[in-house]
Amino acid sequence: MVKKLKFVKLISVARKAGTVTRKYPFEGPLVTEEFRGEVKLDPKKCIGCGACVIICPPNALTLHDEGDVRVIRYFVGRCIFCGMCAEVCPVNAITITKEFELATPTTEQLLRDLVHERVKCRVCGKPFLPAKLLKAANGETPGSENYMDVCPECRAKLSLKGILGHRMG
Amino acid sequence: MSTADLSSALKALKRSVWVFHLNSGSCNGCDIEVLDALTPYFDVERFGIKLVASPRHADVVLFTGPITRETLPKVIRALRAMPRPRMVLAIGSCAVGGGIWHDSYGVIGGYPKLEEILKKEGIVIDKVVFVPGCPARPEAIIYGVLVMLGVVEPKSKREVYKVE
Repeated sequence: MVKKLKFVKLISVARKAGTVTRKYPFEGPLVTEEFRGEVKLDPKKCIGCGACVIICPPNALTLHDEGDVRVIRYFVGRCIFCGMCAEVCPVNAITITKEFELATPTTEQLLRDLVHERVKCRVCGKPFLPAKLLKAANGETPGSENYMDVCPECRAKLSLKGILGHRMG
Repeated sequence: MSTADLSSALKALKRSVWVFHLNSGSCNGCDIEVLDALTPYFDVERFGIKLVASPRHADVVLFTGPITRETLPKVIRALRAMPRPRMVLAIGSCAVGGGIWHDSYGVIGGYPKLEEILKKEGIVIDKVVFVPGCPARPEAIIYGVLVMLGVVEPKSKREVYKVE
């Protein structure tokens, strides 16, 4: 008889613990201070340098130079939420949010694009770098505005011409 | 089974789905999170979601891992054994887009690549939901199931920003 009533002990144990189940969809999720979710790229701050693209371990951030535009593409589906991109960004354009409810029926809905216009070369007319990046680089090295709107290939040719012209008289 | 029967079957699947956990070479991170979602702490059995031991009993496959070459034939066999309507919940960055192993020689590289192989094999998957996360939180998995069953609309959208 005493053996059969052993489960009664459990009731006091269960009462001490109380209800532990979280009512998740009907209440807020349990997100801590350090939790890293989806990263947000700020189009107002981004200069399109591609530092985040180089550091990204799973290549979730990729850079595409297509015609007149430079696209920085963020594929959330491949992101491992390490936060390295936010650490390396020189203009703090990347912030880590706490968003994790990202489930979608297609992978296309997990893409985020940042489109930069590219500046055309003064000499050959080919687009080469985003205007914002050139502006930022100009701020770093003053006096470079004379050759800032020339693409690297034309710049090499121009400087070679200058040296040769100087030598030949 | 005709398409009309299938759509009615999909409509009827609003609650009490039975899930089967299929690991295709995952690092065990997502598998632990799947286990977390089944514990009394998150308690998915309040929605009637129940883990079953065989794909023959399952409505939904909880799919984790980037599909290594070794597991590919087993994955195909398990998915073929499922009754229609078949539904797949791809959990974690590996299953969604290959994750950190997306260009490795030893893996197929995520569910989208597997889908092409399944098409050649003649296996139809009726519904797929992708749950990103490395690993995906138990809450994210519960949210993914709710998206799959059509209880909530997916929040995430394709976004294109133009830089001025």
